[in-house]
Amino acid sequence: MNGAPHSLIEVRDLTIGYGDRLVLEGINFDVRRGEVFAILGVSGSGKSTLLKHMIGLYQPIRGDVVISGASIVHAEGDERLRILRKFGVLYQGGALFGSLTTVENVRLPLDEFTDLPEVAKDLIALSKLRLVGLESAATKLPADLSGGMQKRAGIARAIVMDPCLLFLDEPSAGLDPITSAGLDALIRELARGLGITFVMVTHELASIYSVADRIVVLDPKTRGIAAEGVPSWLRENANQPWVRQFLKREAA
Amino acid sequence: MPEKSSVDLPVRWNLSVRPDGTGKLEFAGELDAESTPVAWRSLESELAGIKVASFEIDVRQLVCDSAGLALLYHLSIGGMTPGAIVNLTGLSPELQHLLRSFSKEDFQALQEHEPTCSSFVEDVGAATGSWLRDLRQQVEFIGEVTLGVMKSLFRPRLMHWKEVFRVFEVAGVNALPVVSLLTFLVGMVIAFESAQPLEQLGAQVFVANLLGLVMSRELGPVMAAIMLAGRSGSAFAAELGTMKVNEELNALQTMGLSPVQFLVVQRVVAGILLTPVLTIFAMYAGLLGGIPVLLGLGFPLRMVLHQVQSGLHFGDLAEGLSKSIVFGAIVASVSCLRGLQTGEGPRAVGESTTRSVVSSILLIILADAIIAAVTYTLRK
Repeated sequence: MNGAPHSLIEVRDLTIGYGDRLVLEGINFDVRRGEVFAILGVSGSGKSTLLKHMIGLYQPIRGDVVISGASIVHAEGDERLRILRKFGVLYQGGALFGSLTTVENVRLPLDEFTDLPEVAKDLIALSKLRLVGLESAATKLPADLSGGMQKRAGIARAIVMDPCLLFLDEPSAGLDPITSAGLDALIRELARGLGITFVMVTHELASIYSVADRIVVLDPKTRGIAAEGVPSWLRENANQPWVRQFLKREAA
Repeated sequence: MPEKSSVDLPVRWNLSVRPDGTGKLEFAGELDAESTPVAWRSLESELAGIKVASFEIDVRQLVCDSAGLALLYHLSIGGMTPGAIVNLTGLSPELQHLLRSFSKEDFQALQEHEPTCSSFVEDVGAATGSWLRDLRQQVEFIGEVTLGVMKSLFRPRLMHWKEVFRVFEVAGVNALPVVSLLTFLVGMVIAFESAQPLEQLGAQVFVANLLGLVMSRELGPVMAAIMLAGRSGSAFAAELGTMKVNEELNALQTMGLSPVQFLVVQRVVAGILLTPVLTIFAMYAGLLGGIPVLLGLGFPLRMVLHQVQSGLHFGDLAEGLSKSIVFGAIVASVSCLRGLQTGEGPRAVGESTTRSVVSSILLIILADAIIAAVTYTLRK
């Protein structure tokens, strides 16, 4: 491992694409333990694709993703399962199972992976729901929840196994600004309170300045990273003018 | 004071009860998702027989995650020592913060929540209601489709012929191999099964007549229609259902386009056009399936063909083909109706697909029975 000792995820020389079409070529970056890290880019720059490679859903063409010392690209079987248990994922729509109630959704990983008594599973699931502010919606079906509540429930399910790392795919997509700000506050609270490292894909600039410690900006033209660093610093000092404009929400 | 611990468990605890009714439980080690279940169960059995008035839990030496916290919380609300005043000491501030997210009220609310259960009478009422609503929708739908087809006949510009040909190809042409194979095998089986009883009467040669009649009047159209329902009707329902879920149908409506005119009429017209073709293939394949059997029984090919020819009349063929047109209209329209009726949620499309196949096949058989009864009375 050639990464810094405090980095939780190391992305090394990662080249990804669909078939013949390359999306990103030879990118490198680290995510540090305990930070909120955001991946930014214009639509179609491969943000979500990159995230799906980082969580091991897709196989890269070349390169490696190492999560706390173990490569998710090369891991198989039990080793892969061990890596998968280290992180939770919130998908764009929440990806709650429609046939289960909210609390059953959150309980699902406990039911599948632990031998805890029923009381314990209910207590844990309910405590996670309370952490995300959904204790009153425990027995509702996902279809009866609003978009913001579904995302909160998705986060509750993602943190139920106490992961040290949480991936969020466009957490504020489709949410109104107030709900979105509430979600940002929740992310900050979970990051500070539980010490969870966050990696999020987003193009919501407001939430980047309020939650992200560091960001990378993907460049669709060079298929690489245009800028990496603290968002408010990059807004004024990024090398490429379009990155500064992008971060200032100006048309390029 | 006996040391209660297990060798391979990362957590140890020490339980002591003084004669004055105060108990003390000291934890050390790690309570995680793996060690907690074991600890939970053994503590439960250890504490089961013990009656204490106050109980102190010392967790200064303990590291724990959510699972461990759940155990501590359960202990602290007296879950294992009913009636005792429990005091939890030595919890780190972070864990204390997390422990606050556990709540007895939430748990009780969950336990008291019972899934709404309706009575038998209510169920019957609801089922009858939905059946009547469905019937009404079907009648309305038949009217709407007929109107749509009529409109398209008078104003052919309204008809999307490209879509009709696409459906014709996907649901018709591509289905030919499987329909032919199916009826070929059915023809073979029928020839085999009927040859034995007819042999006892010395009438084995009439297997050819029987096959010709059965295939052209009954099995040809019915098999083709059932295949259409299973293969393409379900696809219609799923396609329209997904469009409904994706709000494409709403988009059509707000553009001022009727989903029936825009999506259903094409499919019904294609269904009416393609089933006779499928049926003719089915009839021929069925006959072809019988021929090897008859040849095997020792009849020459010419004799078999002559028997089929003499036993079959134009009326039989016409009956089969007109039936197939009715079946085609039924399958296409019922499947589209089920697709349009799709509700919300991920299971809705699956449900409407199932309903489309069940309703189509049911209505095919019903229509077949009615047509058979009518033609029988007419022929008399």
